[in-house]
Amino acid sequence: MSANLNAARVTAPGSNLAVVMRRVLTDGAGVVAILYVVLFALYALWDRSALTASGVTNLSNNAAPLALAAAGESLVVISKGFDLSVSGVVSLSNVLMATYPLEGPGGALVSLMICLAVGGAIGVINGVLVAILRLQSIAATLGTMIMGQGLALVIMDAPGGTVADWVSYTLTDVIFGVIPISGLIVLAVIALWLVFRRTDTCIGLFAVGADETAASLSGISVARARVTAFVGAGLLYGLAGFMLSAQTATGNPTAGTPFLMLTFAAVALGGVSLTGGRGSLVGAVIGAATLMLLQKVLFSGGVSSFYTGIFQGVVMVLAIIFGSLILRLASTGARA
Amino acid sequence: MSGAVCALDVRSVSKSYGATVALQDVSLELRAGEVHALLGENGAGKSTLVKVLSGVVKPNVGTMRIGGEPYEPHSIVDARRRAVATAFQELSLVPNLTVAQNLSLPQQAKGRLGLVSGAATQKRGAAILNRFGLPLSSSALVADLTLAERQRLEITRAFACDPKVLILDEPTAALAETDWLFGLVRQATAAGAAVLYISHRLAEVRELCQRATVLRNGRSIGTVGLQEVTDHNIFEMMVGRSQAEEMRRRATAGASTRAAVLEAEALVGGSLKNVSLKLREGEILGVAGLEGQGQRALFRALVGLAPLNSGSVKVDGAPVRLSGPDVALKTGRGIAFLPEERKTEGIFPALATATNIVLPVVGRIGRAGLVSERLERDAAAGSSSKVDLSSRYLDFRIGDLSGGNQQKALLARAMQTGARILLLYDPTRGVDVGTKQSIYAAIRSFAESGGAVLLYSSELPELVHLVDRCLVVYGGRILAEASGADINERTLVAALTGHAAHETAA
Repeated sequence: MSANLNAARVTAPGSNLAVVMRRVLTDGAGVVAILYVVLFALYALWDRSALTASGVTNLSNNAAPLALAAAGESLVVISKGFDLSVSGVVSLSNVLMATYPLEGPGGALVSLMICLAVGGAIGVINGVLVAILRLQSIAATLGTMIMGQGLALVIMDAPGGTVADWVSYTLTDVIFGVIPISGLIVLAVIALWLVFRRTDTCIGLFAVGADETAASLSGISVARARVTAFVGAGLLYGLAGFMLSAQTATGNPTAGTPFLMLTFAAVALGGVSLTGGRGSLVGAVIGAATLMLLQKVLFSGGVSSFYTGIFQGVVMVLAIIFGSLILRLASTGARA
Repeated sequence: MSGAVCALDVRSVSKSYGATVALQDVSLELRAGEVHALLGENGAGKSTLVKVLSGVVKPNVGTMRIGGEPYEPHSIVDARRRAVATAFQELSLVPNLTVAQNLSLPQQAKGRLGLVSGAATQKRGAAILNRFGLPLSSSALVADLTLAERQRLEITRAFACDPKVLILDEPTAALAETDWLFGLVRQATAAGAAVLYISHRLAEVRELCQRATVLRNGRSIGTVGLQEVTDHNIFEMMVGRSQAEEMRRRATAGASTRAAVLEAEALVGGSLKNVSLKLREGEILGVAGLEGQGQRALFRALVGLAPLNSGSVKVDGAPVRLSGPDVALKTGRGIAFLPEERKTEGIFPALATATNIVLPVVGRIGRAGLVSERLERDAAAGSSSKVDLSSRYLDFRIGDLSGGNQQKALLARAMQTGARILLLYDPTRGVDVGTKQSIYAAIRSFAESGGAVLLYSSELPELVHLVDRCLVVYGGRILAEASGADINERTLVAALTGHAAHETAA
């Protein structure tokens, strides 16, 4: 009987670096971060303005709305769900910002609160439908997405309106001459994520995503984890709509539509497993940034914008293949 | 009551799901310091009772008391607060978390600012592993553990709560040896804990438990002192009829002259160091081994699921390269594999039982390429009758069937493929005595009709009664081979632990 005890695995000392490397690469965020750096180098090679303050600000402003939306989506995907309501919330926030512009920093704060409230409310509805009434997440959030988009059309039936100047100028600006405010907002979300990662709720989120039954038998409240994911996601979509409005400075009832597919692309590119339980919000953010950067690279490389979609798709598939290859290598390495 | 302190008192508990009655008027009394067995066939209501006791489901009626105080748990955590802990049969470990994180669910160890501290959780986990003598790394991912390691971890997690009432649901299903577990159980009961022990292995139950309560069709039939009853009495209580049918050995005369249908020569790869074997037509060849001695790798290699570094496999005398179960199925007379973990490797829980059974041959039963439910059902009915699976189950989702019936369905699927070589990996793991008999009968009649069976079982009595020859694997090699009268538990146990003299036959 001691035979099998001796045969069991024991921690090998000195393998810490290997463990860290494995965590970085299999986390998903590692692969896409490397991809981002490579693309940025290409971009800087072709377009010298990439390294200037305005170049970086431009990149950041461009990527922030999608990055925030993808960050929200990653929460739901990690808990093994899909959230389509992102395009509804973004559209709704955008038309509200353009229909009721509120000037000054105070006005911006109220607008932000409105956007967050819209996203949070839709998140609560999604959470109740999925976690408590146990509807399938795709079906439930498809409903709230259509609802949100419909509501946006009622508020504003055609593109138009103007977002408050303070919002569209200040939030796309830089502080200390170099640091884009949009980038700071994304960093703040990442910081919140890093804190959230160290809570029981977040560990519950991953557990529910991997095996709902085991999680609940381990004492985790599955419903609470799911509702948290949807509400967190909704808040981030609201923030994404807010930042999109700052960037476009105008309203469009279908502004959120392109976000639907792109958030999922960003999440997948960022190494978040669409089957749940694996990935990180940071990966999704970098995934979104990579998709937006790719557009710039192609443009500066002289590729017609008609081809952008093809390249985005190919890069995404390649990155996912590469990521899963690494994952397979790492797991066979661990078993050997 | 014989003066013993009553730790948990269950009175007239009933639970029904819609029209289905899972438990009816179940009463049970656990005394402090005793190991109490809960016996019953699959579907008798044991799992439901476990769920009721651990706070997963609420009973419709009935009362429960712990130490005289009313006990109405509304969640697992609540039950744990009342010092009731459970090691679940389906293993409630989360695969993408580490061993230490799993040990600290749902609340991890906290560091500064009330945030989760990985280091503190790790340390707490390592202390628990150390205390219960589990040689695992606390930072290992549960997904990387073997089934046996997971089972030990599940058990350890229940013990780590220092429960007054401990529920162990099939704790040895994946364990080949029980000393570690029994040691822990005896320690806990000596400290005054009450243990509810659920197992299909009567020998284990007799070794460990003092009393047993038998469930049948959701009712508690009675509680007996295990000293006072025979196995026969217990079977009778469980199945309600005399299950006296003795397991008999098949006549094996002349078997050694039959043609070899599956030959493996010097297989090396993974945990296999050097394994050769020869499986003949009409033969049931047993494989015995302690957990993790290479038996799993052997079975998986023979259907191409595990890579081989060297060695050759011959089917019907011709060398073959098996790259996967689909290829194995089409090679020679066909090799079908019944995997170990039916929940994750076997069934498609959302599909009908009939669909599950005909899945491998679905292309063959269609008309003009289209398959209807009726065609599936008709095709499945033939093989389900061979394994004694009632045809009324065919239309149900397989996920709703009891474990025993799922296993019958999987065996039916293996037979449905038409393969004449079956590789059965622990086919009776976690199934009740009635189902075991059906499975034995199905395996025997398959072999009698000229099929060849390679059978691994974690239960020695099963091998002793069922197989014609038995190989013992140890450390990735075949250590011994027994045939005829040499197949008895004593010889096998000696060989299992690596103590056998080198009496390996050709």
